[in-house]
Amino acid sequence: MEALQKIAKEALASKEAAFIIGYARVPGSQKTRPFIARDEAEAGQLVFDEYCQNNLAVYLTRIARPKEGKMGIVAKSCDVRAIVALLQENQIKRNEVYIIGVNCSGVVEDPAQPLSKENLAGKCNMCQAPQPAGTDTVVGEAKPYERADDKVGKLLAQLDSLSPQERFAFWEAEFEKCVKCYACRQACPLCYCEQCIADKSQPRWIESSASVRGNFAWNMIRAFHLAGRCIGCGECSRACPADIPLMLLNRKMGMIAMKEFNYRHGSNMDDPTLVGSYNNSDRNDFIM
Amino acid sequence: MNYYITTDEKLRELVRTLAEQKWNIISADKQGTRFMYINDGKDLTVDAKARPTKVSAKQFVFPKSEPLFFFKKEHDDLKLIDPQAVQQKTVLFGAKPCDAAGLPIMEKLFNWDYKDEFFNKRVENTVVIGMACDYTDEYCFCTSVGLAPDSEKGSDVFLVPGADNHYVVKEVTPKGAAFIAEFKAIFSEAAQGDIKAVSRTQPAPEKKFNVDEVKNWLDGHFESEYWSKAGETCLGCAQCAFVCPVCHCFDIVDENCAADCGRRVKNWDACQFGLFTKHASGHNPRETQPDRYRQRVSHKFKYYQDKFGETLCTGCGRCSRNCAVGIDIAEIVANIPM
Ligand code: SF4
Ligand code: SF4
Ligand code: SF4
Ligand code: SF4
Repeated sequence: MEALQKIAKEALASKEAAFIIGYARVPGSQKTRPFIARDEAEAGQLVFDEYCQNNLAVYLTRIARPKEGKMGIVAKSCDVRAIVALLQENQIKRNEVYIIGVNCSGVVEDPAQPLSKENLAGKCNMCQAPQPAGTDTVVGEAKPYERADDKVGKLLAQLDSLSPQERFAFWEAEFEKCVKCYACRQACPLCYCEQCIADKSQPRWIESSASVRGNFAWNMIRAFHLAGRCIGCGECSRACPADIPLMLLNRKMGMIAMKEFNYRHGSNMDDPTLVGSYNNSDRNDFIM
Repeated sequence: MNYYITTDEKLRELVRTLAEQKWNIISADKQGTRFMYINDGKDLTVDAKARPTKVSAKQFVFPKSEPLFFFKKEHDDLKLIDPQAVQQKTVLFGAKPCDAAGLPIMEKLFNWDYKDEFFNKRVENTVVIGMACDYTDEYCFCTSVGLAPDSEKGSDVFLVPGADNHYVVKEVTPKGAAFIAEFKAIFSEAAQGDIKAVSRTQPAPEKKFNVDEVKNWLDGHFESEYWSKAGETCLGCAQCAFVCPVCHCFDIVDENCAADCGRRVKNWDACQFGLFTKHASGHNPRETQPDRYRQRVSHKFKYYQDKFGETLCTGCGRCSRNCAVGIDIAEIVANIPM
């Protein structure tokens, strides 16, 4: 914690960073939340521990860019993956961000409970490297943690074994719950479009109604737009007030990208994106 | 005011009877996500100790998407078709005080200059069975907005849980009395001794702020440095407005059904969306997220007071409990530099 605050203070003092996007403790609680430190005193409020669930990379495309200095950001390795994805997609430049990597020992699923095998965020279960790479600096130590049951993976296998009709019925029941709050979009670091297709009204591609048709259209288009781009941070799912298991869609898309194209987004900032590149060995048997 | 006694089992039996008589029956789901239609006594969830559902019950009087009329092109004519009238009798089970109170609060808006017949009809057809609440967490603040875990506002019938799955039942409105009379087998007359005060096992939420002081401050601080920090990390989703039992903004749009027909629908909308106030010219009077967050707080604690003499908040804490970035409306209001 002190090391993190010290680095943040130095980055602000030297004007390397104009502000630091980090986590601060919620008063009177062990919970944390996003916090933007703009001076030394505020940098003294930054924390990092297993209660830091948020993927802060979402702010990089939403916050006003500083006129001078970089955007500082505290990032776990999964957050770094989102930052790398944004770099690959040309949404930010590497010299616009000052990345304070934090070694991570897993974060909680339910912030009201302590970290345990049962209370481990789904994304940590899938994490390939709790030590962030390619950051400007790294603090903290990564302790090994016990992985939990892969609930999403199991449910996905179960869904895959159903007939298309049964699967459709499953999603119909889930999407019916959607209230069209767009929290999934707003919480997503890769949903940065200045004008989302859901907000276009001339013509209106996606009905704004939270009806079965409108909800299907919205959730499917979002899944497609994130295909090969989602980095699996789970923020959409966590933000959804209707408890729709959005990670099932994301994971499936990620698995297809891996299986068909051997591609994992956000792995290397110099890699071209999946949809922005072409390879002779790409499947083309679906082209008539 | 009459009191009765009922039990968990009796309420399930009531659900079975109501289902046979084709009532719409609404209850919280088992996961605590939302309210939904049920048809079977075993699906009834009446739990004073439960956390308020993530999404409030408002959609049963103010649906997330509601057709106002349909239109169909016939030769060179456009035919307008009314939607099916809302006439089915409905009962909402187990609304917590912070849910039930939302109905009379929203009623003011929907009956101010234009009388919203859709909303009114739904309210008129719904018997609200409220329930004293025995839950408290750090997000609850009903006591700061003039309510309490045993407020009957908005309920027609009010249940107070007692020992051994028993409830003391109070008739609150004539509609509630008529409902109890119609289903006499479920509610037995309470003897004087039965109506002892039932003690809560949870402390009532502490009072976090004084609404009058907040209103006073808001009256003079539209421009304040406070807002830029308060709304700084808000992502501008509208989760907070959509789960709220009293947020009531809507948008009216036309949608096609097929090439020659369509419908006009009233859909939930919210002030946290950037698009909400964006003009056709591209100008947006609420340009930044802090501007929009200020609107959220001001509408709840000032404008609604100015116009209707009520606070547009029941203190349920849903918006804060669910916010992905931990923005807590009660904390923001309580921290106003008054
Ligand atoms: S779609 Fe969901 S899991 Fe994927 S990057 Fe966006 S918020 Fe994260
Ligand atoms: S967050 Fe959930 S309820 Fe909101 S729009 Fe997305 S899927 Fe629908
Ligand atoms: S306060 Fe929270 S829930 Fe409301 S719009 Fe902002 S981020 Fe979304
Ligand atoms: S503003 Fe928040 S606390 Fe108040 S009634 Fe709405 S959801 Fe509940």
